[in-house]
Amino acid sequence: MKLFSETGLPATYVALPFADWRTRSDWPAVALANTDPVEELAAHVDRLRLVVLHFPKFSDGRAYSQARLLRGRMGYRGELRATGGVLQDQVAFMLRCGFDSFESDQKGFGEALARARTVFSVVYQPAEDGRAPVSLLRHERRNAALT
Amino acid sequence: MPDTYFYRYDDYDRTLVGERVEQFRDQVRRRLAGELTEEQFKPLRLHNGLYLQLHAYMLRIAIPYGTLSSRQLRKLADISRKYDRGYGHFTTRQNLQLNWIRLEDAPDALAALAEVDMHALQTSGNCIRNVTADHFAGAAADEIEDPRIWAEIVRQWSTLHPEFTYLPRKFKIAITGSPNDRAAVRVHDIGLRLWRNDEGEVGFEVIVGGGLGRTPMIGKTLRAFLPRNELLAYLEATLRVYNRYGRRDNLYKARIKILVHEVGVERMRADVEAEYAETRDGLLGLSSETIEAIAQQFAPPDLPSRPTVVGAVEALKLEDRDFALWLKSNVAPHRAAGYAIVTASLKPAGAPPGDASAVQMEGVADIADTYSQSELRVSHEQNLTLPHVAIEDLPAVYAALGRLGFAEANVGKITDIIACPGLDYCALANARSIPVAQRLSSHFANLARQHDIGDLKIKISGCINACGHHHVGHIGILGVDKNGVELYQISLGGDVDFGRTALGTIIGPAVTADKVVEAVDAVVATYLDVRNDGERFVDTYRRIGAQPFKERLYETV
Amino acid sequence: MAKNLSGDLQVASANRLADGVVVWLDDAGEWTTRLERAAISRDRRSGEILLLRAQAEAFVVIDPFLVAVAEDDDGTIEPLSLRERIRASGLTFDAIAADAVRYA
Repeated sequence: MKLFSETGLPATYVALPFADWRTRSDWPAVALANTDPVEELAAHVDRLRLVVLHFPKFSDGRAYSQARLLRGRMGYRGELRATGGVLQDQVAFMLRCGFDSFESDQKGFGEALARARTVFSVVYQPAEDGRAPVSLLRHERRNAALT
Repeated sequence: MPDTYFYRYDDYDRTLVGERVEQFRDQVRRRLAGELTEEQFKPLRLHNGLYLQLHAYMLRIAIPYGTLSSRQLRKLADISRKYDRGYGHFTTRQNLQLNWIRLEDAPDALAALAEVDMHALQTSGNCIRNVTADHFAGAAADEIEDPRIWAEIVRQWSTLHPEFTYLPRKFKIAITGSPNDRAAVRVHDIGLRLWRNDEGEVGFEVIVGGGLGRTPMIGKTLRAFLPRNELLAYLEATLRVYNRYGRRDNLYKARIKILVHEVGVERMRADVEAEYAETRDGLLGLSSETIEAIAQQFAPPDLPSRPTVVGAVEALKLEDRDFALWLKSNVAPHRAAGYAIVTASLKPAGAPPGDASAVQMEGVADIADTYSQSELRVSHEQNLTLPHVAIEDLPAVYAALGRLGFAEANVGKITDIIACPGLDYCALANARSIPVAQRLSSHFANLARQHDIGDLKIKISGCINACGHHHVGHIGILGVDKNGVELYQISLGGDVDFGRTALGTIIGPAVTADKVVEAVDAVVATYLDVRNDGERFVDTYRRIGAQPFKERLYETV
Repeated sequence: MAKNLSGDLQVASANRLADGVVVWLDDAGEWTTRLERAAISRDRRSGEILLLRAQAEAFVVIDPFLVAVAEDDDGTIEPLSLRERIRASGLTFDAIAADAVRYA
């Protein structure tokens, strides 16, 4: 399994399974199953350096919601890693939901990751990647036309 | 003057659809080169509307909120000729299915579609599907607000939504802006009904957890009144709860209706409201300016005043009985004086319901150009609608539709049958649907008799997945396979009308294919014998119950 | 008269990847669009082998599977299930006949 990261060298912490981490929540790295209550990390996001979220299959999308809650709601800024069914055709969605490192053994994954932010130059919804949705761009365009 | 009276793509929309076509082209290339397994590729093709059926791939093209320009319909005809066998099938969810597409050609077909600002995005797969709306939107006399404005807003928000593309199961949203629901909002994963409260504000009733399929359920009200500008925040909250907690252990229990059923609507509401409390003040709030910019594009055409009583129409009514019947069943009131909404029946006697050839599509496009502001609608009853026809022009439209075989005066009648493609096409089906529909529509072809029978909806599904909506048919027919023999279960009393939505009850043992016509005949004969004056079939059924129908049916077959 | 309806006789089928067309595996290990050329297995064990052969040739098709067939005295084979008969012979109604007549 190879690790890919957009942000240079990934963290080297050993991520504890959620149940273990709970008993020593000062540890800076945790791995969640996609059924684990991500909300419980809220009080610890400033201390955490690595959160690993799991896709048991690439078609099981629960970790997308966990990622958005971590990034958008709880303001987690450390490394957010996707493991399991991590394939190049979903990586653009993962980036939008706030993942920034990926474990994948798919051939060509690294190249795909490098391209993934440019496959779509337009997005319709706000997410966790800071990209301006079309509605905002249209709004700015209308304002520019008025002035 | 705009060339259409509905949403027009701007460069952003075009860029996204174009990029999507190229992404899929690359995915197809990788699949054909063996770089992707079928398991990996399947969701990707499904998210682009491409199924594998019995004989070939099928491409399901979205017709968002059922609205289509004549130019777009001509392009569909073109694509069906170039990449398929020269015909297509309009579905109950305002899609067009082409049944003989080659995987190798699919990217080119999608590129051709993109030329007229159309796509097949999210017409399949476990994502938010094509959003449907009242096919009379923008023309109906009873409309509070055009639901297509909101359907377009939802279309954009749901398109390539990064969080909701791998949901537990498919997710269908329907929107109505009229008290007379023509969008079946109580049988969708989420149904949205625009209404005006006592303060005079317009908002949504949000209905959740309806659906047909193997566990049919009527949706429940999740929120009685939602301010319009909060729609996306509320939908995002609902979808998030579903994405996190919907069941994934069993394909047949993965729809949101099962989650709602298992946790109860109160708990579901509490979870959604808690999530919504967090999402409501975020970026998903819709500014009145954003809403207005989209609403403007749905501004109705400027229809010059035309006479409401036309001598030639009255004369033809007396002269041509079929025309008189057609006026009654296929022509609905328009909000503008002197205009009407005309439904072109895609159910001529003996034909596969909802099918249109390329020639027919082009013919209807021509009629729309001449008589209906170049605009068309696809209804969930699998018919095409001409939304803005002057009453003066009705005789000409009737004649022109007649030349295409689409002037059957049967809308809402016993031969206006909804049927899924069934075992002739579908890999999931257990029994055939179309041949059954053909036999029934041939048998009941007599128009005067159909009008005497009155409103009676037959809906046929070829398997328990219920694409033919048999649960909500006044007469529902479900094909099953018993030891290799096709049998058909008959149910009575289903209804999809708002406020009366009901699931039909199976009346007794299933009948063989050759007895379906006799069985329906027996049910109809029972009704004709006992109905009160002006009483619809389904009302008679409600009054007297199943027993009389059952007795006569099983004496006959 | 079909002489063997036991379900012992089987052919391997799939849809072709590039265009979705229904195909069967022939004796030479090629995928053919003609059912009459399909390789027939006559017992369970050879059925398993046929499926393995089909899976080995699955690069150009999607998810091969076995289809129970009956065989006539003259060697004509026909799938036992209606679904597979429809896959083999196409739609059971004429999709565009009415249309063709109308516009002839």
